[in-house]
Amino acid sequence: MTLIAILVPMVALCVVARGVGFLLLAGVVTALAMLVDGLTPPHEVGAVLALLFAAVPPLFLTRYQHDATLERSGAAVPFFALGLMVLLLLACSRAGSAVFPAGLCTMVAGLVAVVCRQSMVWQWAGLLTCVEGVLLSAVLGHQPVVLGVAALAGAVVLLLGGMCVHRIMPRVVPLRAAGQRSTRRAGPSDTGADV
Amino acid sequence: MSMGMEATVFLAALAFVWPFVGALVVAAMPAPRSREAALWMAGTGCALSVIVFMFPSVGGNASGWDDDPVQRAGRVMLAFGLLLLVLENAVQPDRLLRSLPHVCTALAGLACVAPEPAVGLGILELALAWGVFVFTRPAGQAKTGWGLIRTGSVGTVLVLSGLLLPQGSTVSGLMMACGLVILTGLAPFGQFWRDRNDSFLFLPFAGASILLAMRLRGHGGAAFEMALVAAGLVSVWLTASAGRAGDRQRLFRTFPSALALMAVGVEADVAALLFLCGWCLAGGNRSGRGWAVNVLACFPPGAPFVGCLLLLSVMTDWSWPVAVLTVCGILAAVLRAVPDREAARLFWPEDMAGRVACSVLTIMGFLVPLAMMLGAF
Repeated sequence: MTLIAILVPMVALCVVARGVGFLLLAGVVTALAMLVDGLTPPHEVGAVLALLFAAVPPLFLTRYQHDATLERSGAAVPFFALGLMVLLLLACSRAGSAVFPAGLCTMVAGLVAVVCRQSMVWQWAGLLTCVEGVLLSAVLGHQPVVLGVAALAGAVVLLLGGMCVHRIMPRVVPLRAAGQRSTRRAGPSDTGADV
Repeated sequence: MSMGMEATVFLAALAFVWPFVGALVVAAMPAPRSREAALWMAGTGCALSVIVFMFPSVGGNASGWDDDPVQRAGRVMLAFGLLLLVLENAVQPDRLLRSLPHVCTALAGLACVAPEPAVGLGILELALAWGVFVFTRPAGQAKTGWGLIRTGSVGTVLVLSGLLLPQGSTVSGLMMACGLVILTGLAPFGQFWRDRNDSFLFLPFAGASILLAMRLRGHGGAAFEMALVAAGLVSVWLTASAGRAGDRQRLFRTFPSALALMAVGVEADVAALLFLCGWCLAGGNRSGRGWAVNVLACFPPGAPFVGCLLLLSVMTDWSWPVAVLTVCGILAAVLRAVPDREAARLFWPEDMAGRVACSVLTIMGFLVPLAMMLGAF
């Protein structure tokens, strides 16, 4: 167990609290936690996948306008996630495992984000956090089959989520050059009638 | 390897590939003739799966593919579900949409036989992704599609994290049971289909999740079984208390899958198979029809009724109070939630799909217990 593995659930909590902005950081920390644990091929594949799933959504979202869905969920949601993590820790320590279940705590945080937040982008970030958690847990637990299935699930979420974002959210339209706009305004007077 | 063994291996492989071939043929045909072709392909698929059930290939276990008789019988149920889906739907103009039930049934069959349950989950996730992609392509469906992907992926992730925890621990069992309940779409917890076409995807999907639940039992332990029984019991009682108001019918639709999950929980695999048969042939959006209501409510001539008897006979050994609660719940649900009594009184339906479904269900209700007594399971 490393310090960086404890950092992963904390960053996941930031995703729950603040949204998709922290997803990239969560991916970087997850990849580092995997690489610190070992340098075998599954670790490297897991790290690359974690970085990929975390880096693509923020880059992709820069082409779209900010999601302005009104959040009705309160400020208590991160604390709910924290409470679930503590419950998970207690249950795991009672079952006799001495290892800190960093990946599963991350997964729980992501689940809370999916269930409690209303905006689509936030839910997307939450689902990808879940996938990061499962990836981390599979790599640290040396289960390559689960790693592969989690990678597949992450790819599905990434692709179809991106498709839904593309269909739902408005694109960022570059502003026209100032000179063009001024000539329009100075043009014929029927521009006002259109509005 | 002798000639007979080669033939059985070939047939087993053909039974897996056949629905994919069917999907290709159905997509390639022009729309007016596609329904006929789909009927032929689905019917041949049923015949193939029955043959594979009766003459199993011996070498399958050695190569890592799990192939016990219950899973093979489950694939027979999935194949008949596909036949019925094709029978009762009219000609679909969209190529991808009309080949979707074939693709989903093929992937569901593969998921049940995958060497590890986790791989099966991955195949199911693929089926979900393809299905959602196909029927949310029309404009204005993106939000619905996102909702389906979200719910299905949450279920998959929960089961995966349950598989990562040590075998037999309480948390692992609970997580896997929650994930499976979501994947099965049990009504109050995670029913995530709404539209008419969604049953193209979710009938095989939920059936394969029930079959996967049987294989996950070895990893989940006692907590898994108890959580499944509890979830099924809650669903049955909520169905009973919701009554027959119009907007609450979605509780009644998943009645057989609730009972199937309970049967998986008490290790009554044959009963689960019979409920699965009822689910594949009558579940989904057909609850408006008389014969489907008869089947869903487990009325006597049919597989779910026999399944109820088997389930209760096993459950009395498992726990008396739970068995009494289940009997009361089923009776209350049948009395309070069965919609439209007049239509349900009709035994022999008028339409072709209903006749096929009724005869298949009655035959299964006789044959499956007979096969169990002869030692096939």
